[in-house]
Amino acid sequence: MISLISYLIISLVLFIVGLVVMISRKNIVAILLGIELILNAAALNFVAYSRYVTNNLDGHIFSLFIIVVAAAEAAVGLAIVIRFFQIKETIHIDEATQLRN
Amino acid sequence: MFAQLLFLLSAVLTVGCAIAVAVTKNIMHSCIFLLGSLIGIAGLYATLGADFVAVTQIMVYVGGIVILMLFAVMLTGGKDFVSRAQNLLGLAPSMGNKWTYGIGLFVGLVFLLTNIKLLSNIMKSYPAKTFGNEFPSTVSQIGHLLVKEHVLAFELSSVLLLGALVGAAIIARPRKQ
Repeated sequence: MISLISYLIISLVLFIVGLVVMISRKNIVAILLGIELILNAAALNFVAYSRYVTNNLDGHIFSLFIIVVAAAEAAVGLAIVIRFFQIKETIHIDEATQLRN
Repeated sequence: MFAQLLFLLSAVLTVGCAIAVAVTKNIMHSCIFLLGSLIGIAGLYATLGADFVAVTQIMVYVGGIVILMLFAVMLTGGKDFVSRAQNLLGLAPSMGNKWTYGIGLFVGLVFLLTNIKLLSNIMKSYPAKTFGNEFPSTVSQIGHLLVKEHVLAFELSSVLLLGALVGAAIIARPRKQ
């Protein structure tokens, strides 16, 4: 019953939901939530292939590094969000126009 | 059987909470649903035999990233953020009063006692051996891989984390103008 395909379907759904969140939300923190969902979909794919196809632990290592990079990305991203809020008093994504022109 | 049950529960939790993240309007609720989705993914890792990755997922994501995002949401509420929180008795939102603490203590006690009662029966009738040892522990192998084959990526990730820490502190620092 449980096969590689079921994990791939879950991963696909997570990726699409993350993409929809990234595109449709206007809140910067919500966009970061979408990025987390997409990174998790990729990590789940790595571990599933590592169990069903290659039969070694390299996928686990890669998944651990994805978690590390996601932690670093979240820390820097949220710092930027807080700085942006100090300047603009809002975190609406359409207000981020200072680098235009 | 146990693995299939765990897989079904984790899959439903993951996909349902992920869709709820996209649908919910309140950003605070989105964060809480993301927490459920990440716990579900940790359960999926457990069904794949990746015990170390599952525990790391729980510790880093649930203990770190989601809490950080909740703090960011609370710090950047601004004028749009209006708290409409109200407890069960219709009282003003607060950290709690004697009613809420009393109800919480009572529910916790009932939950604890029923769990002890139920789990003691289950543990007696199904000893741990019946589950078998299908997935061996991966911790020592991952440790060897991290310091032998993937040692360069391991060291680079430490530099990356240091850079992210310093960069986040510098960016979020309040500036005097």
